[in-house]
Amino acid sequence: MSRLHDMGGRFGDGPIPVPRNNKNEVINFEPTFKHNWQAKAWAITLAAGALGEWNLDISRHYRECLPSKDYINFSYYEKWLAALTNLLIDKNLIYLDELKEYVAAAKKGNLDKFSKQNVMLDDRAWLAEDVQKTLGWGGPSIRDTNVSPIFNIGDKIITQSYGPNENENGGHTRLPKYAMGRVGTVYSYNKNHVFPDKNAHGLGESPLPLYTVEFKSSELWGISSEHENDSIFLDLWEPYLNHYKD
Amino acid sequence: MSEKKNIIHNHTHSDDHAHSQLPSDPELRVKALETLLINKGLIDSRTLDELIDTYENRIGPQNGAKVVAKAWVDKEYKKRLLNDATSAIRELSYEGRQGENMVVVENTPKVHNVVVCTLCSCYPWPVLGLPPTWYKSDEYRSRTVREPRKVLSEFGLSLDPKVQIKVWDSTAELRYLVLPMRPDGTENMDESELAELVTRNSMIGTGLPEALK
Repeated sequence: MSRLHDMGGRFGDGPIPVPRNNKNEVINFEPTFKHNWQAKAWAITLAAGALGEWNLDISRHYRECLPSKDYINFSYYEKWLAALTNLLIDKNLIYLDELKEYVAAAKKGNLDKFSKQNVMLDDRAWLAEDVQKTLGWGGPSIRDTNVSPIFNIGDKIITQSYGPNENENGGHTRLPKYAMGRVGTVYSYNKNHVFPDKNAHGLGESPLPLYTVEFKSSELWGISSEHENDSIFLDLWEPYLNHYKD
Repeated sequence: MSEKKNIIHNHTHSDDHAHSQLPSDPELRVKALETLLINKGLIDSRTLDELIDTYENRIGPQNGAKVVAKAWVDKEYKKRLLNDATSAIRELSYEGRQGENMVVVENTPKVHNVVVCTLCSCYPWPVLGLPPTWYKSDEYRSRTVREPRKVLSEFGLSLDPKVQIKVWDSTAELRYLVLPMRPDGTENMDESELAELVTRNSMIGTGLPEALK
């Protein structure tokens, strides 16, 4: 079982929307944001995230949990906005009644009526002066722990054959459906990283070994495979994997 | 209270989600939310401006192009880049958000690499900026892992059947950058001239560096 975001390998999608110029050449440059509202949607999501009330895995899971109908119909930054709104409400940073008031005012074009002088910034708010520093730090997911990896490079593994989240039905996971129950080879061990399946549900970071695993195209796609030499590599946490013996 | 309970636990009907309260015009949606957050002191409008300016004007594929050009002219740098990409890229002062753990994969006459994120839109921000629209499209996300050769042909890239394609699906927090092959006939070019040839798509694997005119 999976959700709509887990679309790797799905049939039915048309040509890639590759932008081309009037000589039919592929265009490599496009503006970072096509519309101002997209820039704002992106920036308020980052700034609200910096309040520290949720982590990256939680915000990803909120986007995945949008109703299927909305996930399909919304454009990229509309998904971000919708998930952000749900998060802000669930974390009590904003309330439904005030949201409704602001929405009503926005529709009437009189949001100005709420404008305030000298708003006191919340202690958690991300200051413009700190933006470069915080971006530079990022949010590394790697953790120093004494957990040793149980798989070695070159080991044959078979992935879990069903959604591996042990804590929640339909919970967050980073093992895509197309690579469930498939045999692959451990290509590299990338130290221990925060485990999204727990972190997305507020159950702690539980850092675990993260491997890059190589799957032959034919193993994943059978007769639909384009070329026997091709491989697909995925970054997978230890609980997604089991030893495989021929 | 009962209203809030619905929002958290009922993920079946969109009407029960707070986001369904938003107006249909995305511009109004953003405006309402932004104004509310600013009035509550939760976000500072100057921070939004700084973020947008940074990714519109300072962080973008021109960064990755410098990394690639340096690897083309400096063998020792290339070794470090393939061995520990995060540190090697930090030598050029590119680091941080969505590039905390970098991996560089090298194209050779026998191997062509291409990067995708089937589950969302993971992309190496410090070296490439924010992802282009096609990278985030359902079409690219669904098809690249199953039929990379067809996908690449839509970008005008046809590969010899003998070349192995390696598709990297960014399912964790490792961020991938493709090191394309240096174009022929560029032996006399210096690093900054070479960087001009490195296209964004060539660092994702859906294109090649520009050939000499």
